[in-house]
Amino acid sequence: MAPFPSATSFRSSSSGSLGTEKRRRGGVIPAVFLLSAAMLADEIFLIRLLSFRFWPHFVPMIVSQAMLGFGAAGVAMHLFRTRVGKAPRKVFTWLILLAAPSFDLAFRASQKVAFDPFLLLWDPSAWPAFALFFLLLAIPFFLAGGAIAVPFAFRMGSPGPIYAASFAGSAAGAVLALAALSLVPTGSLLRLPVGLGIAAGAFIAWDPVRRPGTARLAVWAASLLLIFAPPDVLRLSPYKDLAMARKLPEARELSSRFGPSGDFRAVKAPGIHSAPGLSFRFDGDIPPQAALFGDGEARGIVPLVEGNSPPAYLDYFPMALAYRLSSRPSVLQFGLRGTEGILAAYGNGAASDTVIEPAKELVTLVTEDLGVLTGGLSAFPGLEIRTEAGRNYLAREKRRFDLIEVPEISSATFSSVGIHATGETFLLTGEGIRSMLSRLSDRGIISFSGWLKSPPRESVKILATLKEEMERIGGPAVKERVIMARGWGSFVILARMIPFDAEEHRRSQRFCDEMGFSVVWPHTGGIGASGPEDDSLRKAVANVLAGSSGDLAGGLFDLSPVTDDSPYFHKFLLISSLPDLRRLLGTQWVPFVEWGVVFLLLSLAISVVLAAVFLLLPLAFARLGENAGGIRFAAYFSALGLAYMLVEMTYLKIGILLFGDPIRAATAAIGGFAFFSGMGSIVSGSFESPRTMGRRICPAIAFLALAGFLSLFFSLKFLLAAGDTARTAIFLAALAPAAVMMGVPFPAAMSRLSSAAPSSIPFAWGINGFFSVAGASLASVGALWMGFCGTVAAGSVFYLLSGALYSAVGKTCGSWDTGAEQGSR
Amino acid sequence: MVYLRGFAFLLTVTLLIVPVSFAGNEDRYVAERNAMVSGQIQGGGVSDPRVLQAMRDVPRHLFVPGELRSRAYEPRPLPIGDGQTISQPYIVGFMTEILRLKPSDRVLEVGTGSGYQAAVASKVAGEVYTVEIFETLAGRSAKALSDLGYRNVQVRLGDGYYGWHEKAPFDAIIVTCAGGHIPPPLLRQLKAGGRMIMPVGGPFLTQNLVFLEKGADGSVSQRNVLPVVFVRLLGH
Repeated sequence: MAPFPSATSFRSSSSGSLGTEKRRRGGVIPAVFLLSAAMLADEIFLIRLLSFRFWPHFVPMIVSQAMLGFGAAGVAMHLFRTRVGKAPRKVFTWLILLAAPSFDLAFRASQKVAFDPFLLLWDPSAWPAFALFFLLLAIPFFLAGGAIAVPFAFRMGSPGPIYAASFAGSAAGAVLALAALSLVPTGSLLRLPVGLGIAAGAFIAWDPVRRPGTARLAVWAASLLLIFAPPDVLRLSPYKDLAMARKLPEARELSSRFGPSGDFRAVKAPGIHSAPGLSFRFDGDIPPQAALFGDGEARGIVPLVEGNSPPAYLDYFPMALAYRLSSRPSVLQFGLRGTEGILAAYGNGAASDTVIEPAKELVTLVTEDLGVLTGGLSAFPGLEIRTEAGRNYLAREKRRFDLIEVPEISSATFSSVGIHATGETFLLTGEGIRSMLSRLSDRGIISFSGWLKSPPRESVKILATLKEEMERIGGPAVKERVIMARGWGSFVILARMIPFDAEEHRRSQRFCDEMGFSVVWPHTGGIGASGPEDDSLRKAVANVLAGSSGDLAGGLFDLSPVTDDSPYFHKFLLISSLPDLRRLLGTQWVPFVEWGVVFLLLSLAISVVLAAVFLLLPLAFARLGENAGGIRFAAYFSALGLAYMLVEMTYLKIGILLFGDPIRAATAAIGGFAFFSGMGSIVSGSFESPRTMGRRICPAIAFLALAGFLSLFFSLKFLLAAGDTARTAIFLAALAPAAVMMGVPFPAAMSRLSSAAPSSIPFAWGINGFFSVAGASLASVGALWMGFCGTVAAGSVFYLLSGALYSAVGKTCGSWDTGAEQGSR
Repeated sequence: MVYLRGFAFLLTVTLLIVPVSFAGNEDRYVAERNAMVSGQIQGGGVSDPRVLQAMRDVPRHLFVPGELRSRAYEPRPLPIGDGQTISQPYIVGFMTEILRLKPSDRVLEVGTGSGYQAAVASKVAGEVYTVEIFETLAGRSAKALSDLGYRNVQVRLGDGYYGWHEKAPFDAIIVTCAGGHIPPPLLRQLKAGGRMIMPVGGPFLTQNLVFLEKGADGSVSQRNVLPVVFVRLLGH
């Protein structure tokens, strides 16, 4: 995010003695500090709230909203500079007073909008609702951003301390937000930014010279009341698993936990019967169940059984095959899926079970809150539940296991519509699978299971990744080291470093015969016996294991292995296939594209339209006195907005791997960039000359952004094994040099404009804001199709371009044409 | 007096226009329905004339929320409340056809939803028993079915997971919501020789269907059946 400029173009017209003026400026610094903290906290909380209401991949949209608010505030501030300049303190005060309640009210209003991302693709009439939803959530950023811009633009104090307050506030907001996620229930989170806004208002609303007006007092008091008002009940999309469970007759919430990892709830209802992929040969009864939800999505099941005996149905899934080929295995399981995984392991004679679950809140919910229902997990010998991300555990732990289980790589629940296509899944990348394979004992088995799709996608992609990694490690032919079985709706893939023997194949066949499943690989019969769906799976599996890697190319879906550089395992969409999908399926093509990608592209389109309306359109009505540099001027601010977002957002994404969850990563990245760029802004005045900017600053940013990112990326193996504090420190150290420098070009250019062409400042704000809005989503698009390194490199190229264009900023066309005046101002 | 005349005139015009406009709507719906059957249903490979006739007869628009009626015959699922959807017409036609329903058959549907699938099935089967767990949906679909005169359909509010024991056994079972598995109680309520179908997928999406048959000896066989249009995708 580009920090606010040290604009010096407008002078406050407020008059008074020096002492009075000093007193009146007294509240500005704390107000800016508190408001900056409130804005950053609001951004982070919106990520959580929208994750709960819809799905977890709203980060680019929220950053776009913030950028739209900031950009529109800057444009408005400059368009109305004359009016604002007559009473800047009054405008500052009112913007703060209105910003405080807006953090809460905008969200409440957004909940009233009949918007559901699931309807966007089916129903274009849902798009205006989405635009309204988007705009409402941008309002707090507009008001708060506008408020913070006033003291900068109208010199309500020395720029240095105001900058310091702004970036220190952003950092404080990040820390406070992270703490609040553990302390405040999800629905009440927005009280924090409201409270911070009220505190900011308290510093500024009471004019030391005059008594505060009734209207100010009334608004301030009303905001205060909002703190104590009951929070708006979070309205979940009706298609979310939790929303459905809550509607079941006699549904009862047993317990809930919240924290940085998410909002976790356990619900019990007689109508909950979850056993995705259960064999139809099971004719017993499934015991009553409690369902677990993380941010509203199904996360696991706790069967309500007497004692520790595992319910019989757990043996009737394809994934139980792994236990038929193991004897008293030491088990490693990724993800705490309630207690089903643990019960199945011990029911099948596991010697020990290590469960890796990054969400501490979920672990507490299962082991403590549901302790009575789970029948006392502590009774299981050798059970260990570790609260850390899978990749961190794998990097740190050297122990080997007889069975490593990665369950539910594809789901039968609401997420099956592809909402996670834009979500980073670092456990399923080549690097992730390589580290899992390295933790297998000599005869150890790795097991991947999930829900089958037709045409097959996850099952084939994981197989392709496995094959690539096993071949990299070496050993006998991979096709001899893999067994795949399927039920009517689910699959399991087993692999290990040595071939499976004839007896193990016989046992697999026997298991499948008993359960009504079938062995997909090794395939003993000819294709064509079981219908087109089964045939297509067998053919795809045979292509992967016995064919060449080229067999994966040329299909309708992207089934190639993924890496840490673009860890989108659940993205199968090939844009080039869309015409074929439409041709083959006619109007039935929609189920085969991924909601996550569709939403990302639609949110990009809508945010760009809104940015054009609110940032560029007003400029058409602006009066311009001078020419600021024409197309090169516009290109400079465009490149800058785009470059900043591409770099910041990609650092955020690699942070998800380092920190293990998106909220911590967003806090560190957004807070870190705001803090360090603010520092850069303070000293931006020293680097205004075109020579310095073009030859030193911008090239330095390009280099530092890429170097910082690559140093993080290529030392992941070591970083993942480091402790939390060390990881945070190294992450911030890697981004800091670039982030400090990234704070320079925008305010430096604005400063030049303020002297040479003040009336073009709105254009600079608008164009920069427009490309910042687009850049947030474009960074995600880049990560999906170009990879992280490619996206950061693109950001670096845009910085180089900015450097080349900087000399045009603040120049008239005449001087530009003659090539005169290259020096600094 | 002038006002009274004016009022009478307006009233008359209104009374004339309203039915005409409704009749116009009905004509439009009939045309859309016929187009749906010939385009989406037949075009997608459904050929059983009884099923096609049933889908021509059942007014789908009366099973969707009022604000979505104009879109009832589009080839897409539509939200009906409570996080549930009415399946796209083609899937309804495909599932009805594959069950090979006879006029004497007794059918169980688990997950009534809008009631549309039950209405279509009732046109080709003898009796349809349908169970819905959500009260609002059960009430709404029961009223729609009753208002439209589907006397051979009975709606029950309850947990369809356990079927409808009192009316078992059934010749055919349609499961529209099963938590990703085939409920064992339903298999027990399926007649020898009976058929069961279950669409697989999340909200707004059907990617394939699971078809089960119960042999005379009680053994169950299963196969995944794909709608014809999806098979094109596999053959690509």
